[in-house]
Amino acid sequence: MISAQGLFIAFFGLAAVCFGVAVFRTSSMVRSALALLFSQTAIGAMFLSMQAEFLGVLQIMMMATEMSIMAIFMVMFMMDPGGLGKMEMTHQKGLSLISGSIAFMAAVAVAVFVDWGPGGASPPDAARQTRELGIELLGRSMLIFETAGITILTAMIAATAVAIQPLKRSGDR
Amino acid sequence: MSIELLSALVTGAALFGVGVYGALSQTNLVMIMMGVELMLAGALVNLVAFWRFLHPDTPAGQMFVLIVMTVMAVEMAVGFGVAIARFRARGSVEMEEASELKG
Amino acid sequence: MTTLLVLLSLTVGVYLVAVLEAWTTNGHFRIAAPLCSALALLGRESIVPRKADRIFFEAAPILLLTSALLGAAVIPLAPALIVTDLATGALFLNAALAYVLVALLMAGWGPDGAYAMVGGWRFLGQVIAYAMLIVMPIMAVAMRAESLLTTEIVASQAGLWNILYQPLGFVLFFAAAMALAFVPPFDLPTAQGELAGGVEGEYTGVRLAVFRLGRMVLILTLAAATVTFYLGGWQGPLLPPWAWSAIKTLAVAATMLLAGRMMPRIREAHLLAWGWKLGIPLALLNIFLVGVLVLVLP
Repeated sequence: MISAQGLFIAFFGLAAVCFGVAVFRTSSMVRSALALLFSQTAIGAMFLSMQAEFLGVLQIMMMATEMSIMAIFMVMFMMDPGGLGKMEMTHQKGLSLISGSIAFMAAVAVAVFVDWGPGGASPPDAARQTRELGIELLGRSMLIFETAGITILTAMIAATAVAIQPLKRSGDR
Repeated sequence: MSIELLSALVTGAALFGVGVYGALSQTNLVMIMMGVELMLAGALVNLVAFWRFLHPDTPAGQMFVLIVMTVMAVEMAVGFGVAIARFRARGSVEMEEASELKG
Repeated sequence: MTTLLVLLSLTVGVYLVAVLEAWTTNGHFRIAAPLCSALALLGRESIVPRKADRIFFEAAPILLLTSALLGAAVIPLAPALIVTDLATGALFLNAALAYVLVALLMAGWGPDGAYAMVGGWRFLGQVIAYAMLIVMPIMAVAMRAESLLTTEIVASQAGLWNILYQPLGFVLFFAAAMALAFVPPFDLPTAQGELAGGVEGEYTGVRLAVFRLGRMVLILTLAAATVTFYLGGWQGPLLPPWAWSAIKTLAVAATMLLAGRMMPRIREAHLLAWGWKLGIPLALLNIFLVGVLVLVLP
């Protein structure tokens, strides 16, 4: 009835959602950031069980470093990183719960009621997938890839420029 | 429609819902960004599920996922740069206090 | 069967790396040194700090060991002796080793102690310095092999080993591997004598044994990865392939452990400056050079 792949997808999906909920329920900041990290790892495992091997490994690798950087930013900027002070850090809780539920139900309704058409073809094996992805990136989608590269470069320069400390000039206010 | 596709889409929907809750209910900029990360992750799950179960032989689906991952990283970088600048100017990144354009 | 063989060779390798590390640290070459110290550690009492974050405190050594073992799963020791020959093996090694960072962050935040926390966050700064210097040389190696399969990468070095084909990449990868395994001079997280042990300072007994074991496996995995990517893996004239793998891996591990003893510990700011201002342009130059060589040479 349900294949092994479906079981893996469901298991990792449940883990991802549970870790995602834990992000906002815990009051310790580092636990929150690391819960998000493990949620993203579970999503990477979902990609692996859907036979998108390159994407799964890439997601797991990138998210480990990104979420650790998020952890240190939380420790820098939050007022109570240890979570022992029991501060109230939310606002408009009712509205956000309702919005979250509406978003969830709308997406599930679309998923259930739309006829997605015949699926069932099987993907190529992982080595060919990676090779075809590379050829696609550097062939047909070269312009998109280059635009993404320029965007990343611009974002790096912009983030560095915004975050750098202004030089103290003598005689200025 | 296969049950694997349905479970993956429901997971993506749940992650998106949790992300919306987080982005709307938190007051700190870093927590709001975590909500946005969850929303993007939900979209990624949907994208990979659509690639795998509907068009497994077109690599353009995977390329789309790569671009969304790039967007996630870029948005985090710029967001944290803005957070640092705001923290230096004001001493906190609470969004409740950020209701004016001045400063 | 292959998994058992790989685990057996990992165990022997880890034991020998521990002997090598004791030799470089103390100057005495005792074969029984790791066994004695392991028995001593297991016999000592396990102290848990008073307000430790239990989840992180318990999980950190296990995560360190797990990530190092997962990294070792994609490294070929002989033509058919590999636990799992993933199609994206070289990238998977990188992904598994990214969790060393997570483990050290947990070990830093868990014990609720100042020195441990400083050690943990210092390792994050170190990661930002070396992360690109690990990935970019791997990219250049994969360019030559035209595949991410680790067995393909070894097979592509049949003519000329990568250490001679891409020496710049080798230097960068070796330095970055030393920084990932936090051996001296990059041992900022566990700075002996400065941070009172840093991330491993609050661990005692069994947990410290697992932490140290994880670190030894990490050093062994990185040495084996260097051999696979740059030194031709199992290729060699007379001996059987697994013997060449063993000799080369132990030689690289000994070099890693010895090289840093001559230098003082590198400060974080200097590491970041050198890594980004010098290392990344050199890594990009390496990719460019390898690309030209791959396209020009037949």
